[in-house]
This record gives sequence, C-alpha cells and structure tokens, in this order.
Amino acid sequence: MSDAGGQGAPTIHTLEFHGRGAEYFRIWIVNVALSVLTLGIYTAWAKVRTQRYFYGNTYLAGHSFEYHASPWRILIGRAIALTLFLGYSLSVIVLPVTFGIWFLILGAALPWLANSSIRFNARNTSWRNVRFNFNGTYFEAFIAYVVWSAAALAFFPLIPYTRRVHDYFYINRHRFGGRAFETNFKARRIYVLYLFGFILIVGLLVAVIAVAGAAVEIATHWHKLFGKFSLPLGPEDFTLIFFVLFGLGSAFVASFVTTLVTNLSIGSTTLEGGFKLSSTAWGLRVGWIVVTNALLTVLTLGIYYPFGRVRLARYRMRKYAVIASGDLDSFTAEALETQNAIGEEIAGFFDFGFGL
Amino acid sequence: MSWTIEGRYFHAGSAREVPARASAEPQRVLRIAAENGDVLADVPAGQVKVTSRLARLVRRFDLPDGARFETGDNDGAEALLLTLRKRRRGRFTDRLERAWPVVGASLLVSLFFAYYLIVQAVPLLAEWLALRTLPTVGHAMSEQTLAALDRFALASTQLKPADQARATMLFRRVAAKSRGGVSGYRLVFRGGGRIGPNAFALPDGTIVMTDPLWVAVKNDAEIEGVFAHEMSHVDHAHQLQRVYEASLVPALIGIFTGDMTQMSQISSILPGVIVQSAYSRRFESQADDDGAAVLRRLGEKPSHMADLLERLDKQLCGKAGCPPSWIGDHPDTMARAARLRAEDKGPIVVTQDCLRPWQTGFSLRCLSWN
Repeated sequence: MSDAGGQGAPTIHTLEFHGRGAEYFRIWIVNVALSVLTLGIYTAWAKVRTQRYFYGNTYLAGHSFEYHASPWRILIGRAIALTLFLGYSLSVIVLPVTFGIWFLILGAALPWLANSSIRFNARNTSWRNVRFNFNGTYFEAFIAYVVWSAAALAFFPLIPYTRRVHDYFYINRHRFGGRAFETNFKARRIYVLYLFGFILIVGLLVAVIAVAGAAVEIATHWHKLFGKFSLPLGPEDFTLIFFVLFGLGSAFVASFVTTLVTNLSIGSTTLEGGFKLSSTAWGLRVGWIVVTNALLTVLTLGIYYPFGRVRLARYRMRKYAVIASGDLDSFTAEALETQNAIGEEIAGFFDFGFGL
Repeated sequence: MSWTIEGRYFHAGSAREVPARASAEPQRVLRIAAENGDVLADVPAGQVKVTSRLARLVRRFDLPDGARFETGDNDGAEALLLTLRKRRRGRFTDRLERAWPVVGASLLVSLFFAYYLIVQAVPLLAEWLALRTLPTVGHAMSEQTLAALDRFALASTQLKPADQARATMLFRRVAAKSRGGVSGYRLVFRGGGRIGPNAFALPDGTIVMTDPLWVAVKNDAEIEGVFAHEMSHVDHAHQLQRVYEASLVPALIGIFTGDMTQMSQISSILPGVIVQSAYSRRFESQADDDGAAVLRRLGEKPSHMADLLERLDKQLCGKAGCPPSWIGDHPDTMARAARLRAEDKGPIVVTQDCLRPWQTGFSLRCLSWN
C-alpha cells in the first residue's frame, strides 16, 4: 500500500459479486409473473429491478455499483420501438414497396438508437456517486455499426476487425466522471482468437456429424441389440441430434471465444489517471458454466435460470479487476469534482435495448 | 426515543466516507451524526430522497445539498422511515418478493403462461404471419434452400423422360383437386443423393421428388397421395410457419425472462427443438389428412399412402420397420399408417367446441378473425 500522494506499488482491486441464487430467483419469478399479468408493461420495472440487483451486488473496493434508470424511460423507449415495429409490419403488409424505405430509415436510425441506449445505460450507472458517461457521435456510430457491420456481412474475414472497431468505439467513448477509458490492442491478436474459434467450430461440426450419424445408424439397424429397450430415435432424427449437439457445442465455443476476446479488449483498457482494467476469466470455465446452466435450465423447466445467472456473474466478476497505481479515494474525489463542474443533464435519452 | 441506524456519510461532492448514524428527530427531521455525536446534517424528512428497497442492496439517503448517507441495515432503514412518516418506496414489491406463497403463485402463473404461449399463441401467430408473408420472400427462401440442397445433399435426376412425363401428369391431376390449382405448384426431379426416397415442399409451391421414391412406388395412388401431402404443406405455408416458430420461441423466452444474452438464447435451443418437433408433427398430421381428402376426391383410397409409408420404413430399417421415435419431427410411421387406413372410411372429424373452452384448452383459435 502506498501512502497518500506516494507512487508505491500498484494496488489490485478485484470485483466481487454478492448476489445469491435463491434471492434473485424470487425477484425474477415475481418479475416474470407481474410482466405476464400486466401484458408486458411491467417488463420495464422488471428490467430496473434486475439491473439494480446485479449492479448493486457488484462491489469494487468496498463500494457497490448503482443503477439509477427510471422504469418510465425504459417503458417509453420500448413503446417507441414497438410502435416503429408495428408501423413497419403494417406498412410492409399493405404496401410491400415500403420495405426499401424502412431499410433506409433503420440504417439511418441505427447509430442514433445505439448511441442513445449506450448513453442511457452509462449515465444511469455510478460507482461511489461518480457517473459513467458515453459520448460517441452519430457519425462514429454510423461508421462502426452500419458501415463496418455491412462490410463484415459482405466479407466474413473482416468480422474480427469489425469486432475491434466496435470495441474501440464502445470502450473509448465511455467516460467515468469525465475521465476517458481507452483500449488499444493489435488487430493480429483478435484475428488469432477468431481463427482459433473457427477451427474449433469446424472440428465440432465434423465431430457432431459423426456422432449424430452413428447414433442414427445404431438406432435404425442395430436397435434389436437392445431388445425391447430400443433407443427413442428414428432415422429421421439426424437433424434433431445434430441441432442439439451442435447448438450446445457451438454455445460452448462461442462463450469460450467471447471470453478470450473480452479478456483482450478489457485487459487492454486503461482509465485516465493511472488505472488499468484486467479481465482474466478462463474461457473453458465460462463455456462450461454457460452450457451446464443451459442444460440445468432446461431440465428444471426454467427454474434454474436465475441461479445460473448468479453463478455466471459470481465467476465472471471476480475475474475483473482494476489495477490502480494511485490512490482510489483521491481519484474518485477529483472525478466527482469534475463531474459536478460539468453538470451533465441525464434527460433526453432512452433505452432501446442496445446493450453490450 | 428515536430510532438509530449505522452507516456511512459522504459530504456533498466528496468521495471520502465518514462512519455515521442516522436517527429520527422530532418534527420529522432526519439527523446524521458522526460516531462522536457531532451533528453532520439535520434535514426535514420531506426533502430526503431514499432509494427503494431491493433484497440486501445498500439503501441510500440523498440529502438536498448533495450529501448522502448509506446503510446496509434495510430493516433499520424501514423503521426509520416509518418513524419519520416517510413513504417507504418499493416496500410492496419487496414484500411480494420475500413472501414464499407469492413466489409459489408466481411460479404457477409463469409456468401456465409459458405452456399456453407455446401450445396456443405461438402456432397461431406463426400461421397468421406465414399466410401474410410476401410471395417474394417465400420464393427467395425456396431458391436458396434448393440451391443449398443441390450442393450438399441432392444429385441430378436419372429418371427417364417417360417416367418424368408420367409423374408430371399425375402431379397435375392432384394439383387440380388441391387448393392452389394446377398453376399453384411445380414438380422438380432430383437424384436421391444422401436424402434417399423422399419428397418435400418448398414455400413457393416447388415440390421436389427424389428418384428412389418414384422407384419405390407400386401404384399411382401412392405417389398421388405424396403429392397431395406436399401440396398441403404449401397451402398452409408450413415451411414459413416453422421459420416463424423457430424465431418466436427464443424471442418470447428472451422478453419474459428479461434477458437477451447468450445464456437465455442457448437455454432456448433444446426446448426450441422439442417444441419445433411437436409443431411439425402437427403439420405432418394435417398434411396427411389433407392428402387423404384429395385422394378420396380423386376416387382413390388413402390407405395407398399407408402402403407406401410402410414399404419405405421396411426398406430403411428392415422387416420390423423403424423403431418409433419419441422426439422426432414426424409422427411414428405405424401411427400415421393406421390413421391413413382409418381415413378410407371417410374424414376423421375432430371438432372444437368453442362454447366449451375448457375442452379445447382455452384455444385461441376460438377467437378467430377469419
């Protein structure tokens, strides 16, 4: 530990998640029931309660994060989104030509929707009374989310690079009490991760086809071996076995790769004022948690879902850390002062569900 | 006597915490005092903003000058607010979430709703959407699907022109008695490749027949039954319905679990597949019934279709036939064949008595708009 003002060894502050499965289960199931009974209107309140629960139980250096959003704003955001969607559906059914117009409208609105949602979430998040902020411009969002995304769709090898563009935009435009976050990593490193993921997916595909083929072969030609206890599979179940196995397998690979990519982008992030972020989760562990969560959720008709979510957050959070070279208290005090001086207004933004 | 709770205090604009306690003073005044008893703030309760209660989350009292007091003592905070005669926000919801009977009731409501949504609402909504989807969308889908199948699974046909002409003639005969009419469907021929003896319909009315199926047929009525079955898939836009169902189930799960992240999407794969199988079993039964009806209209017996089904089954799995599949997307062949044989005597009528909704499982179809 360093004395005030001294430049001692860096301190590592690990994130902790204090939520409990049984506790979140009750919040979640009441949320679901009330959402159903209010025909979906309560989903806005449900979202706020869920976010508050997860933020409020995430601790850094003895202080929890806080989520401040008003459910009314979320409700308005959802109402706008729903109106647009209904308007789109109706007009396309009545007058199919309008599809092209909607396509342009969506392309033009997407950067604004994205900025608005990210800003809404950032501004409604605080730690020790210091708020986060996001100041991406329309133009930057347009380049990142429309131009680069379209390029990646047209030419798949650009996907990793596009992911880096998105991460740069998302992280580098975030602020904490006026201090900027900045991530910086070589494109080569993200390409290596995606290439690894691609190889895994191809391997998985081959393995799953072999397994599903073998299972069907056994079921159709060898089922007499088991006597009366034949496998509950027919020759037409190949696709079924394939989708279940490939679905679970690719979910594993996807969480594995996303974890490594997050480790890379968050682990390369600094916060102005001598702070570094770190993310050191094990990809295999996250993949295992995600897949077993999914299986348990299905086996328990959904009841395990909230427990699984808490389980994932517990592991994920304790692998994030802030490495501080200076004193966290005085940094926060300064950030708070800067923030008060800027005096940013919170109104005017909505959440359209454009998350991380 | 006044109620006191322990916590920490932050001066306005300061990040440094001071251990403090809050108490209720006369005239609805909230007092924050340091541990040594020094008064840090005296504020009328009406001007204090307090966060609502949620699980064990830290409660935060925002004072009008920007200072704040935080405490983890939720019960104490509630008692303090009660003494101050201040509204205890979030108390009702919090009590719901704490009461096990409410949690149990919520679980029942949610499970019933999930069941109802999947059994009643999704199929109906998918059908409604599928029948209103632009033909161009169905056409584009069909072309893509056929191109992909040609590349990976099908071969080009080896059928003699005479056989092709005969199949096309039978196809037209069936089409004339089906909903779409002669111009509504198109027959294309392909070699079996990996698919084997089979026929399938694409959304735009294209019906693909593989050579080995034609070879397996011993009677015109058999293949006519297959054509009628596939035309029924086209008439009801079953393929499109499957696409909509496949996207509606995860979307609904996402909306009501309040989570669109990876986990909820992955969790929806398995139920999605199972639900899909159930949905497509229904489609197959419907297509069988329609096929039987067309055969009867042509003056043929639906049991011919049963003959073909059983023959293909034996070809594939040997004399005993294929074992019944519990989870597959086609109903058990034996059951299908038996039903088709029963159709020889006339249509199997299943009536839905909408005046007795409990008998139809509160079917949404009874609120039909068409």
